[in-house]
Amino acid sequence: MSTFADPIDRIVAGNRVYAQTTAERDPNAFEELSKGQAPEILWIGCADSRIPETTVCHCKPGELFVHRNIANCVHADDINAASVVEYAVAHLKCGGANAALSDADLGTTLNTWLHPVRELRRKHRAELEKLPNDDARAVRVAELNVHQSIDVLKQHPAVKRAVAERGLSLHGMIYDIGAGQLRLLEEAGGKKGNGLWSPANK
Amino acid sequence: MPCVRPRAALPHVARAPGVFVRPRGTVFPSSSASPFLGFLAARHTPFQQQLNATPRLDQLRILGVRYCSTIRMSSQELESQPPSQVKKYLQQSHDRIFENNKRWAEEQKAKHPEFFTNLSAGQSPDYLWIGCSDSRIPAEAITGLGPGEMFIHRNIANLVCNTDLNVMSVVNYAVRHLHVKHVIVCGHYGCGGVKAAMTPKDMGLLNPWLRNIRDVYRLHEAELDTIEDEEKKYDRLVELNVVEQCRNVIKTAAVQQSYARGGFPVVHGWVFGFKDGLLKDLEIDFEGQLKSIQKIYNLTADASEGS
Repeated sequence: MSTFADPIDRIVAGNRVYAQTTAERDPNAFEELSKGQAPEILWIGCADSRIPETTVCHCKPGELFVHRNIANCVHADDINAASVVEYAVAHLKCGGANAALSDADLGTTLNTWLHPVRELRRKHRAELEKLPNDDARAVRVAELNVHQSIDVLKQHPAVKRAVAERGLSLHGMIYDIGAGQLRLLEEAGGKKGNGLWSPANK
Repeated sequence: MPCVRPRAALPHVARAPGVFVRPRGTVFPSSSASPFLGFLAARHTPFQQQLNATPRLDQLRILGVRYCSTIRMSSQELESQPPSQVKKYLQQSHDRIFENNKRWAEEQKAKHPEFFTNLSAGQSPDYLWIGCSDSRIPAEAITGLGPGEMFIHRNIANLVCNTDLNVMSVVNYAVRHLHVKHVIVCGHYGCGGVKAAMTPKDMGLLNPWLRNIRDVYRLHEAELDTIEDEEKKYDRLVELNVVEQCRNVIKTAAVQQSYARGGFPVVHGWVFGFKDGLLKDLEIDFEGQLKSIQKIYNLTADASEGS
């Protein structure tokens, strides 16, 4: 796949190509970028290498403000994620969600981080047991995890203020790696068919 | 559960050049983007008319790829619109992502029919990238990497704090389970987080997070205080912040144990510059840093999968 012996050489070369082609196509591109950013979307996604948000959403630099962690978790006591906020995105075949399907010992750090997802699995045991296989269960756990993250976000003081003052909206999505497509999740209450939170309906 | 959103639930339009001036400038200025020429006619069309216009997607070609773009409005402009327009704007800026995603997925499949099947088999990235949340530095785009090649964590000002379970879980998983070969901490000049940290102001919830940057300043107070030019001082703090976060990565048990066992990962400190779009390697002496760090922070003995 790569013609470079050292993987670092490869991305340094990749960056040179990026800088050159961007400047050739638009000589002012970097000057404009250096003035500042005004993204409309905050993307909270999984750290998984297969979902580079700007690429899969066909966006340009400056459009998505990004936070990515293991299994796109938003925990109430996590100051890292709390320093960021507006959208929530997940993906199927998530290693984090799969790991949360069992109680295998992943070491203290990952055990603690995935504890809320595992609790979610226990809370919804009855529903999950009815599903045909572990793949389906992992998908459902990933969805429940997104819903839970959105619930936590909704209680965040900065989010509450932004919702009231400027109509900030929250969306849950799942990325299907096998299809390369994003799928919008219904709001838990099923109030809005298209999942778009509406300031008028709140 | 709805499947993929139907295409064109609402009409999309190209960003009309120069109509709505964003306070801090637009990305990829349309003045020099010839693909937009077809839309110059729309320049003086009222907002609502543009919003209702049917787009010609074949003209939306920027940087060699097609984008479905909406008119961009600043928050101030949006606040002056009637509620129905605000709602429409929110819907469009939301739907645009799905439009773009669908087109991207179709293009990949057309080019490589096995693309997504291969991806769903699993990931084995060589790199872990710890970068800033800033929207202008999409890690994969600026390094020319495709999906599946780089595990990514991004937070405010690319900080690695030892009590932060979030970033520690990322490092742990990338090093112990994905066995990445390189860990890159990448900062950028003009970082809003670094600037905010140096502002004498109560930032509420952000205080404890940004405190870590003030601590970087304190560690390098002697050097930073000799720099008189404020801009240069700020640039240097961005670099020193990256160096300190690299040291924080090296302090983890995961990195120390993996390196002792297999000779990887190697930790790198880089800074991205908007002026030329290039990455600057701070040339951190990984082995030297590891050695000096292990004098105090050695965690190689009695491995227990910790951070």
